Formats: sequence, C-alpha cells, structure tokens
Amino acid sequence: MTYDAQTRRTRPDREADGTGRTSGIGGADGALLSVRRLHVYARPDRAHGPRTLVRDVGFDLAPGRTLGVVGESGSGKTLTARAVTGVLDDGLRAEGQVLFDGIELLGRPERELRPLRGGRLAMVLQDPFTALNPLLTVRAQLRESLAPGTRRDRVLASAEISRRLREVGLDPDTVAGRYPFQLSGGMRQRVAIAAALARDPELLIADEPTTALDATTQAEVLALLRRLQADRGMALLLITHDLRVAFSVCDRVLVMYAGSVLEDAPAAALARSPRHPYSLGLMLAEPPVSHFVDRLVSLPGQVPAADGVADTCAFADRCEWRREVCTTTRPGLTPLPEERASACVRIPEIDDELRTRLLGRVRKVPPARRRPARPLAAPGEAPRTTSTRDSARHAESTHRTPPGPPSGRTTGLYGHDLVPTTPGTPPVTPDGAPFLTVEGLGKTYGRSGTYGRMSSFAGPTRSSRSVRLKGTTTEPMALRDVSFELREGESLGVVGESGSGKTTLARCLLGLTRPTTGTIRLGGVDVSDYRKLRRKEHREARRLVQMVFQDPYSSLNPRLSIGTTLGEAVTAGPDPAQRPAELLERVGLPASYARKQPGELSGGERQRVAIARALAVRPRLLVCDEPVAALDVSVQAQILQLLREVRAGYGTSLIVITHDLSVVRQLTDRALVLHGGEIVESGETAALLDSPRHPHTQRLIASIPGGN
Amino acid sequence: MADMTDMADTDTADMANPVPAPNPVPAPGTASAREVSRRFRPPVLVALAASGVAVIALLVVAGGWLTPYDPGQQDLMRGAAGPGDGHWLGTDALGRDVLSQLVAGARTAVVGPLCVAAGALLLGVPLGVLAGYRAGGLFDAVINRFADLVYAFPAMLLVVVVVGTIGDGYWFAVAVVTLLVLPAQIRLCRNTTLVQARLPYVEAARTLGLPAARIMFRHILPNIRPTVLATLLLDFGGALISLSGLSYLGLGVPPGTPDWGELLRQGQTLLAVNPYMSLAPGLMIIIATVGVTLLGDWLYDRGTAGTDPR
Repeated sequence: MTYDAQTRRTRPDREADGTGRTSGIGGADGALLSVRRLHVYARPDRAHGPRTLVRDVGFDLAPGRTLGVVGESGSGKTLTARAVTGVLDDGLRAEGQVLFDGIELLGRPERELRPLRGGRLAMVLQDPFTALNPLLTVRAQLRESLAPGTRRDRVLASAEISRRLREVGLDPDTVAGRYPFQLSGGMRQRVAIAAALARDPELLIADEPTTALDATTQAEVLALLRRLQADRGMALLLITHDLRVAFSVCDRVLVMYAGSVLEDAPAAALARSPRHPYSLGLMLAEPPVSHFVDRLVSLPGQVPAADGVADTCAFADRCEWRREVCTTTRPGLTPLPEERASACVRIPEIDDELRTRLLGRVRKVPPARRRPARPLAAPGEAPRTTSTRDSARHAESTHRTPPGPPSGRTTGLYGHDLVPTTPGTPPVTPDGAPFLTVEGLGKTYGRSGTYGRMSSFAGPTRSSRSVRLKGTTTEPMALRDVSFELREGESLGVVGESGSGKTTLARCLLGLTRPTTGTIRLGGVDVSDYRKLRRKEHREARRLVQMVFQDPYSSLNPRLSIGTTLGEAVTAGPDPAQRPAELLERVGLPASYARKQPGELSGGERQRVAIARALAVRPRLLVCDEPVAALDVSVQAQILQLLREVRAGYGTSLIVITHDLSVVRQLTDRALVLHGGEIVESGETAALLDSPRHPHTQRLIASIPGGN
Repeated sequence: MADMTDMADTDTADMANPVPAPNPVPAPGTASAREVSRRFRPPVLVALAASGVAVIALLVVAGGWLTPYDPGQQDLMRGAAGPGDGHWLGTDALGRDVLSQLVAGARTAVVGPLCVAAGALLLGVPLGVLAGYRAGGLFDAVINRFADLVYAFPAMLLVVVVVGTIGDGYWFAVAVVTLLVLPAQIRLCRNTTLVQARLPYVEAARTLGLPAARIMFRHILPNIRPTVLATLLLDFGGALISLSGLSYLGLGVPPGTPDWGELLRQGQTLLAVNPYMSLAPGLMIIIATVGVTLLGDWLYDRGTAGTDPR
C-alpha cells in the first residue's frame, strides 16, 4: 500500500517534470510502448509462498528509440520483457499496465495477443543454439515467420526470405538450405533476427541477444541491430547484463536490481555519472580492458531476492553509503535533472562522491611489481583524470590496500582474512626456470566419420579450420603446433574465441585428453600421456596442476556437501590433515559453509569452493578456464581478486583461458592469442593489448563494445 | 586402475547411440517455479499407484495369513462356480478358491521380477557405468555389441523358444528374462554416465587424481540414481508381464503353483462360468505393472527435482 502511494507520487512527476523531454522516455502520448507499475508475482508452490519477482517497473519507449534494461541475474529484467510480451511461464502473473500503441496487453487473452506477437512486436532470445528448430532449414524457419499472405505464395515467400537474409548480412544462396547445426552461433543469431524482423515489427525485444556469442560476433550482431533499427524506425527493448553493450546501443538505460528499477537515465548521462551506488558499483566492478588496476573493486555480497527487500532499499545491504533512512522504507524513483531518476534517497548528499569514484577509476596505475619493460600507461581516457588527481579521497577509495607487494595477510572479500600458509613466499619470480614447457602440441579430434562430415558442412565463419593431411582425409585440428613456456609463479593468458582450441589446450595440460602430437613437460616430467606415467609420478603430476572450470554450477557434485567435496580433495593432496574449514577460509568463505550443499550457494560462492578444492592439493599451476564468464558482473571482480591473491600468496602459476580481454589484462603477465588452433600472437599482456600486431588480435580488441 | 585419459577422443563415436535425457546438474536461477510444479505428477495418481503397490506388497508379505482358504485345497463338489457361498471370486475347475489363489499368487508374481530387477541392478548398473566411464574403450565395445546382439532378437519370442525347448522351470525363465533386460539397463546406465562424465565436477575429480572406481560410484552413480531407480522399476514391471505371460503359456511356474498367469490361463476356459477368474489376475497384473511404473516415474521426477537448489 505504502508504495502504491509512492508510485502515484513519483510517476506523474516524471511525465510532467518540466524538463521538456520530448523523446526517449517522453510522455505516454509519444510512446509506442508504455509500461506502468508492472509487477510480476509467482504463485505459491511447494517450496515457497507467493513471491514478488518484479516490483513497480515503469518506462516508455518511443518509435525509433532503444531502451536498455540492465541487471544481473535475478534482477527481473527478463521477467519484465516476458511480462510485456505476455509469455510469462505458468505460475507467474503480471499486474500493472502495459500499453502497446494504446492497446492494453496485460490480461488480454492469448488469442488476441498472438497476432500482435511476431507481427507488430517480435522477440529475439538469448541462446541462438536452441532458438531455432533443429529440424527445419533456414528457409523453412523463416517461412514460418512470414505474414500468412506472403507465406502461402511460394514465389513471393522465396523472394521475401532471400531479402530478409540479405538484410541481416547472410547470403541466401548458401544459407537458406542449411540446418541450424550447420551454422555458427553468429549466423544462427542472424537467422533468428531475420525471423523476428520478417513481418516488420514496430517493437523488437531482444533478450541478451549477444551473450552467447564471441566478442567479434557480438560486435557484428550489435551493429546489425543498430543498423536495422535505424533503417526502420523500430523501437528496441534490449535486455542485457552488460553495461558496455547497453551503453554502445541504447538511448536510455534502466538499471534493475532485485526486481526493482534503481536508476533510469539516458545512456550517455548514466555512463558519465551514475546516480545510484549500484549503477556505480556495476560500472566499477567491470574489470577494465584498457588498463591494469591494482585492486579490483567489487561489490561485497550478492543479489538478494526481490521479496527480501520489499520495504528497504534493495541495494542497502551491499551499499557503503547506507544510512538508517535507506532501510526504513523502500525508496521510489525520484526524478532528477537531465531526464533521469534514481531510487537512491541520499543522492543529493553523495552525488559528488559517486562522480569522483567513477573518475578515479580511469586513473591508470602501473602495477608496482611488474617488469620495467612495460609501458607506463595505456592511452585512453586520460583527460578526465587531471581534474581529480588531487582528490585524496578517490585514491583511498579505489585502492583500499596500498599498492606494493602484498603483505602476509590480506583482507578477504567476505571480511575474513586470507592467510597464506607460506608467508614470505615471493609473489612473483619472473626469471625462474621454465616450469611448464609445451612443445609442438597438436590435437586432432574426430576419428569417427560423423564429426568429419559435419564439420565439412560448417560455415565459413567457423574458425576451427579443416586441414588437408596427406591424401584426402580432412580432419579438423583443434590445436596445431602450439609451443610455449611458463615460469614458476608466472601468469599466462590464453585468448581466443570459441573454436580456437583454447579449451582443448587446457584439457591437454590437465591430462583430460591426450594430445595427438607434441610434448608437455611439467616440473621436469613428461605428462603428454598420463596413462604412461607410473603410479607415483601420476599422483605427483596430478598435484602439480589443477583446474578452475567455467561453469560453477556443474563443477561441484550436486549430491555432495561442500565439506565432503573438499575433504575428498584433501585426501588427494600432500597434507591429509588439512581441514575443509581452512580451505574455505582461504577463499574467503565462512567455515560453516562446509555443511552446505552446492545448491545453496550462489555462483560466486561455488566458484570460490571450486578454487578451494583446487588449492587442496597445493598445486603449483592453476589452469582457469573462463573463470568468471558465468558469473554476475558484481561478483567477477571478487573472483579475479581472489585468483590474484592466490597467486600472490602461494606463488601459484596461472594459465587463464578466456575470451575476455579485461580478464587477461587484470590477471596475466603474458598472453598468447589462439586462432584456429594456432598461436597467432604472443607477448607481454600490456604490449599485446595496447599495440596488437596480428590482424586477428586487432579485430578482437576492436570488438570490445564501446571500447577503444 | 589406470586413469582414463581418453574421454574426449572417443566422444564422437557415441553420436549414433541414443543418449537419454541428461540428468543435468540444475543451475539455480534456471529452474522456475513452473518447472518445479510440473515435475510433480498430480499426487492423486501417485497415491493411487503407491497404494496399489502397497497392497500387493502386503499380499506378498502377509498373504499366507490373509487367504480365506488354503489356495491348494480342492473341493470338486464346488468346482467352477461364480462368486457366492463364501467364495468372493468363485472357484476354479477343481473347486479351489480363486481369491485365495490370487492372494497366494502375488508372491510368485513378484519374486521373479524382483530377482530380475536385482540382477539388473547388480550386473547392469556396474557394467553400464563402467562402459560409460570408459566410453570408446574395448570393454565399452564388447558390452555394446552384446547389447546389439540381444536387441537383434525379438525378446519375447526368444524367451518362449528358449524356455520352451531347453527350459525347465520358473527360475530358468527368470534367468533368461534377466539376460534380456540387461542390455537396456546397461545402455541406459552407460549413456547417462557418459553425460555426467563430461561435466566439470567429474573432470575436477579426475584432475585431483581420485581413483576411477571412486569417481564412478561415489560421484557419478548418485547423480544418475533417479534414472537407475526408475528403470529398475520399469524392468520390474516388464519382467512381471513377461513371467506372467510365460506362465500363461504354461512355460513358467509348475502346474499347481498359485500364479496370476497360470490363473489367467485356467480361467480362460471357464470364462462363461466364472469370468472373475480371468479378470481378477489380469487386473492384478495391470495394477502391479502400472503402479510400479508410475511410482518409478514419480521417483525419477522427484529425484531430479530433489537437487533443485531452491
């Protein structure tokens, strides 16, 4: 009740707040889509009572404009989009007002919505790999999406399909007859977009359209969406977790958190000065690509459930500016100048501080313990820094721990102390002897015919190239003649897109798969084929190298408690007396977590447990395969920081396998770029990212959204 | 045991095999409330199935005390009569009480299938898990060819022929049915194991250097348990039908033993006089099979939803 009153107070203000806004969010009159007081509720089920998942969302979207809805998992952004299109799952119910061109969509029977959907309003979904029917050719798929009149006329339909494919940059002659499995992810997403646009919708809702795609493909698809939208004057509602994507595409951005809108602002204004601690946190938490930061700032804790924050500021728990006023009522959106609104009640007091923080972020600090050869600073957003250089506050806030070699004790992110067992170990020994030597490594998959046949169908964008070996056999090579060395304590980045062979490399290093050619020497032992090792060597090799997996949800056995998982890992290590609690403490988790099941943990916590498990055998090399790719932005920095601390505390070498250049920048000394199974470029991280020489590396760097 | 380092190389060889619906590790945030509620069958049906199964279990355990008459006791004066006169389901040609035979027959009906399910559990599951964990290896190949071989024969026909020609007795029939159930069980365990074996938690265990046996039976097995459990109950139902069918053909239990299939066969000739003699055992077979199958289905759903983190 209380906040119904609030809504009434704030909403009309926003429509007539005297700032003379005419476009974008505008008044309801100019809007194609106008959403007011949208709530999404879940019906009670066995596990829960009734729950509120989305609370009081409102926005307007005019033709030709783009609205970004940004949030982490659980923020309610996808539910909002689904509620708008009326495709909520069973058990969910939307309330409020959704006007599409004056027509109320909520509560309208399915029969009346259906002609609207696909016709005047269309959707593109996140996963291009499942969004297309695998049994239909591209042509058949697109025909389904055409208007009934066109669909029935064979000639007309065929012409239309070709036109639509060309529009999304695909060649109809080669693509139309193919099945989805013969297309790359980017091509599939293009087909899905073509299908969504087939009837010239006035509104396109795209739910994480590029999340499953490589960086370069993402850039292409985003450019495509922008172009198509401009050509048609179509309204675009873009759901994304990635602020960089939102800033590069959208006119206006809604920041959602735990089911509520926390900030609503024009994209440019938001990028310049966030007016909510959470927006700022998100922007700061994103590890920068352009420069190394000494201490990664992360938001402590995790996203709460929408219901848990019904009568308090949703972000209060994680907010460092929290005062009593924040937790007494739930603040509504308060209009601010520049056509924006924020749900932070303390904005008048802390606005300046927020801005200073953001500017502090651009300051480039060459890391203290680095080789002298590195360039001092990357060119970039330098001008802004001058105005704030003198601010003592920002230095203190961005670098809560002074730069320099880490002391024996570092404060953990959950308020626990990280206590390395070997204090005093030098964090980096850059000039030690090679600890890992990889020479001429090659890996060929697919002895069976099925794979070979399939891959020869694969589209031209498929980067894993087929290589003609002697005779006529065509076999895809996942890795070709890969050689590198790693010194003790060093951190090496392996960069590449999907299909570049980077995961195969990791699996070879861990003995999860056998290389076809080449050798891997680890601490003086040839571990190219673990099966050839004697039992003792085998055990020792296993202890030398451990892995951190991408997907924290499947890297822990769901049937074993955390304590059991860690206890088992300890038995494989050199010190069976270790207790799971110590391991948990080491990764900044309370000891009580040993009793929990993996299902009770968040993604970030699971990743910590996975790191703790790897640390149980005291490995000298930790291979991290996309360690933060599956995590929310506000948690990514925590894990990156933890990995840095592990390296500093134990002198563990890291091999970081990733497509994310910001991870490479923040975590590695050297990096190599894999493309089509070959190393195309390698060098010191800073040099590689700042002045890439190989065209592929240049392309990777150019495709960072909104980047350099 | 040597470590299995070759999984990925051989993955592609398995594309031709049917891979059952994986029992994936559920991710929080993906399982919606709808999914959870959908996973639970309407409890009414499950309750019915469970009570049916419970009644049959009771008959098996306490059947001896529940029969109104001695199932073997003949009364030629009262032969082949419909219900009445203290015999609720009438009597057979020799005047034996049908209800008592039905109750006593529960034990024969259930013991054989239980043995089949136990055989599938003790042989099929370990072999299947092993084949799946070492997919592409020699053992896997042998197991698979064996399964292909058994699949190539029409199973029921094979049972009839084998038991009819060389067979002798109930237990031989049980053994043959077990052998025929094994391939499906092995394949299923193999393929579910294969799905799990590619998941990071298994790879993490391998990276730690844990023994293969420990990985298979401590890590993988609990995660495929719902599937295993459901198929064991399916095997049970299938075996019950097969063995009753054999008895019906006169190839199962020795004459005179109370058995539902046997009862069904004898009742066929008396259909006009006492239809209940055929209907009742038929109904029991249906209740037992459907009940067990539904229960297995529900257990599977519950088992896979049980790992749901929220």
